[in-house]
Amino acid sequence: MKLKVYADRMSQPVRAVIIFCKVNCINYEEVRLDIAKRQHLTPKYAEINPMKQLPAIVDGRFKLFESHAILIYLACSFPGVADHWYPVDVFKRSKIHSVLDWHHSNLHPGPVTIVRNTVLAPALGRPFNPEAAAEGEKILSASLAKIETVWLKDNGRFLLGGNQPSIADLSLVCDIMQLELLDESDRDRLLGPYKKVQQWIENTRNATNPHFDEVHKILMKAKEKRQNQRLKGENHGGGGSDMKKPLVSRI
Amino acid sequence: MVLKVYADRMSQPSRAVIIFCKMNGINYEEIKVHISKGQHLTSEFAEINPMKQLPAIIDGRFKLFESHAILIYLACAFPGVSDHWYPADVSRRSRIHSVLDWHHSNLRRGAAPYVFNTTIAPVLGRPLNPQAAAEAETILTSSLSKLESFWLKGNGRFLLGGNQPSIADLSLVCEIMQLEVLDEKDRARLLDPHKKVQQWIENTRNATSPHFDEVHKVLMKAKERLQYQRLKAAKNEGGSDMKKPLPSRM
Repeated sequence: MKLKVYADRMSQPVRAVIIFCKVNCINYEEVRLDIAKRQHLTPKYAEINPMKQLPAIVDGRFKLFESHAILIYLACSFPGVADHWYPVDVFKRSKIHSVLDWHHSNLHPGPVTIVRNTVLAPALGRPFNPEAAAEGEKILSASLAKIETVWLKDNGRFLLGGNQPSIADLSLVCDIMQLELLDESDRDRLLGPYKKVQQWIENTRNATNPHFDEVHKILMKAKEKRQNQRLKGENHGGGGSDMKKPLVSRI
Repeated sequence: MVLKVYADRMSQPSRAVIIFCKMNGINYEEIKVHISKGQHLTSEFAEINPMKQLPAIIDGRFKLFESHAILIYLACAFPGVSDHWYPADVSRRSRIHSVLDWHHSNLRRGAAPYVFNTTIAPVLGRPLNPQAAAEAETILTSSLSKLESFWLKGNGRFLLGGNQPSIADLSLVCEIMQLEVLDEKDRARLLDPHKKVQQWIENTRNATSPHFDEVHKVLMKAKERLQYQRLKAAKNEGGSDMKKPLPSRM
């Protein structure tokens, strides 16, 4: 029975798992669920993941959720996965655990909070919340600074001084990619100060292409749609438009 | 060179690491770093952990922070650690990773800010924040429900149906123990609906005795002090000009 990956490619941790499968030639079936259509909230999906979140996997009779746990499971269970993704060496592996754990409470909440309180708010049935978005920005900036100065401080092309990517690079970069949904000037303002971070994103993308770009297509399409909406909104003079447009906080 | 563990026993993840070391006969030197005195914010400690958080370890020249990463490292690197703490079996191990990850965004995200914003903040010179506490309480009650109905489902004495504790049990129970410093009524309100959770806390405590109680002594002393202050405040209610810490009675 083939591995099943329950996925919505608009979700950052989902993309990390899908890209990992493709790069490592893991045979899988992608079961698409649309978060915007609340398909992750059905009782049917709750049997797969009672936490009703994505991604989740079913491998034979084994069910698993939480993307870091999934990435580690795949790295350990499928043959042919190169060591650099999740090294056998206990010291290197521990450092990867350390950055993955740090990610939960630091980087991950940043883009999530900004995006769901601004551009994705209508799709999630939530109000625009500039204050929450501003909080998210603070968290994001602090985390990007830590990535720039701590996790990327050695001279490697990847986190922790690595010259090849690990599951940590994939997880964190997919999270930062969510910022593509923001207005270009907001995204540039947030990422601009961090040169190492920008280079690392590019390194991770190159190391996992063409899969990286292919898996991010849906996000980039959503980005284009929003850019067009913004342009339309500006052409109509901004203030009195009867078209609902996402209000990206310009704090 | 003996393992160094930088810890403050008022910190939930610090306690998990210390109890684990004691349970498994791991030789270590505990270096106490007092959060309430800001000792974790010094440039000296930043050389150990640039994130300025506890716990952190140094093993020879190897530095590590984040308690889950530390627990896994210790389970793998030190001989004589029983398999149940961090099983070699990939499926069992993955489930432990799953609950440890869930913990970050759920139980910890609820319990820690709830306790901080109702009780601990004044001790660290910060104001109480009822709104943050209310948001944290929602996450906390939801997390306790998920523990009761999912992570503790089945007949095991521990998480994931286990009959012996894993590092996940230690980490999550130490987090819930932080609720001891709350007003008794708050704590009862939060925990009473969850019988399995209460039993599991007791199972974990028994399985790691006597170390569990010994490592929690600092917390229990803080609990006593706070209870005493609450009683005093209740007695003095009505116009005293004496400065007293006002724990939120949410």
